[in-house]
Amino acid sequence: MTPVAARARRPDQAGGRAASAVPPGRRVRLHVAARWVFLVPAVGYVVFAFAVPVVYNLVLSFEETSPATISHLTAPFAGLANYRATLGDAVAQSAVVRTFSFTVLSLVFQFVIGFALALLFNVRFPLRRFARSLILVPWLLPLLVTGVIFKFLFQLQAGAVNQVLQDLHLVAQPVGFEVSPGWAYLTVLVTNVWIGVPFFTVLLYSALQDVPVELMEAARIDGAGAWQRLTRVTLPVIRPVIEVVFVLGFVFTVKVFDVVIGLTQGGPANSTQLIATWAYNLSFQQFDYGAGAAMNTVLLVIALFAAPLYIWLNRDSLRGGLA
Amino acid sequence: MSAAARRRLVTVAASVAAVAALVVLLFPLYAVFVASFETNSQLFGASHYSFFPSEFTLSNYRVVLSQQGSHVLSSLIVAVGTAVLTLAVAVPAAHALARFRFRVTAVLVGSLLVAQILPSIVIANTLFLVYHRLHLLNSYPGLIIADASYAVPFGILVLRAFMLALPADVLSAARVDGATEWRAFTRIVLPMSRSAVITVALFAFLNGWGDFIFALTMLNGNTFEPVTLSIYTYIGEFSQNWGEAMALAVFAVLPAAMLLIAAQRYIAAGLTVGSVKG
Repeated sequence: MTPVAARARRPDQAGGRAASAVPPGRRVRLHVAARWVFLVPAVGYVVFAFAVPVVYNLVLSFEETSPATISHLTAPFAGLANYRATLGDAVAQSAVVRTFSFTVLSLVFQFVIGFALALLFNVRFPLRRFARSLILVPWLLPLLVTGVIFKFLFQLQAGAVNQVLQDLHLVAQPVGFEVSPGWAYLTVLVTNVWIGVPFFTVLLYSALQDVPVELMEAARIDGAGAWQRLTRVTLPVIRPVIEVVFVLGFVFTVKVFDVVIGLTQGGPANSTQLIATWAYNLSFQQFDYGAGAAMNTVLLVIALFAAPLYIWLNRDSLRGGLA
Repeated sequence: MSAAARRRLVTVAASVAAVAALVVLLFPLYAVFVASFETNSQLFGASHYSFFPSEFTLSNYRVVLSQQGSHVLSSLIVAVGTAVLTLAVAVPAAHALARFRFRVTAVLVGSLLVAQILPSIVIANTLFLVYHRLHLLNSYPGLIIADASYAVPFGILVLRAFMLALPADVLSAARVDGATEWRAFTRIVLPMSRSAVITVALFAFLNGWGDFIFALTMLNGNTFEPVTLSIYTYIGEFSQNWGEAMALAVFAVLPAAMLLIAAQRYIAAGLTVGSVKG
């Protein structure tokens, strides 16, 4: 997955060489400073674009904000008022619950479909490589565009999905995918699954490529059927990759925003509001930045559940560096 | 059934299944392309959807080309700016984190991993207020700085992993020749990391091109507007202009399609390294 570099500890071959006119002590200090020069832009950027927003979001969530306080960086302290008001609200509560169900359902379908496609591409057939590269396209589209495209496909009248369902005589009347709350949720879910499937497929496919052929042969000789080979050999072998795709898929889906806005704007009747879209609504449509920040804190806490797992999966990368 | 016949059957079945899967997965793109040549009355409120429409028009493209050119240009500026900023920040950092052993390496890499996880709406909500004070709203630099948040952590991690895999003697050889740290970096490490640099640049470009959340929150549309925002205004709460929206969507999709054709190897590399979008 993350390319594990050949990272055997190497002696610093540059050390103790080439005396120069500069006194040794000063040279070392210069040297250390020079190292940090490379890091300064990145540290500055991370502080500005990540650390400040997180800290400021926490501060905001405890403030009584209004359109008038925009021009000041701080507003009166409000205690837990934002959290109480926001989390006590039925729309926010349903958005939290919906974000959970949406994320779980997305991951399940993305995995099942993605794994099925990965197994399919693992079979040799003509144009396999071509097909495998085409499958990447959905992943590369701007998410907002994807949302708008699916809004078009799921239209009530002149919608392609309804046309197919009617042509197959599965429904007599067009389904109001975007006007009825339950269907709208399903529509957003289908769209999000469509977006995630290529990612799951490509990563799982590359994992399947690494399953040793001898292992499969040995299982076959021992009389294991296709299903047993899948569950007893393939899945255990590619488990590390499965863990990675689930963590990345979780991180990706829990903050879904563009797709919902493009498709339903959280409607009808807030039936497709997720935490991210509701936070946006509070901050940028109701201009209640404190409430939006409180909602964002909830999202932050949920997203950061993945952090220890993500860091653990990347634990090798925490070390290293030549000298 | 003989083994050969069985193998042939599997191949045929797999091909059929793959074609079916691709049809389902790629149909939305076909639908956009076809719709971009149809009139709005064919697309919205019509009695049925037609998979192979008989009438075509170029009027959507005429409108889009005359009205949306500046928006496409804005998207390009933002996307290129995002790629440049991402590389400017990520490449030196990746080099330092690969080349030197800092006491804080674990902390720095750990915080990059956490940064990758942070939802953009959290950043947008607060950067909006910060930008308001710094007068960065409705500006290219402001949007580009925000958009780079998609790719900077990813870029540093990918580039560093790549540089760590470079042969160790490359750097020491450079040092023996008396090259300074900076020269070793620009003359040797950078050229050797070219493919990883291209991968990161591509992803940063696509992130900048496809960004919606920062454009939506930080621009009011009076100074400039990227394509994603224009599409949204076509098909927002108050408007249903599908023909033109679909023609514009074709433009929005083009870079992804072209890059996939021209640089598929780099895209695939970035994906398998574990990219988190959005």
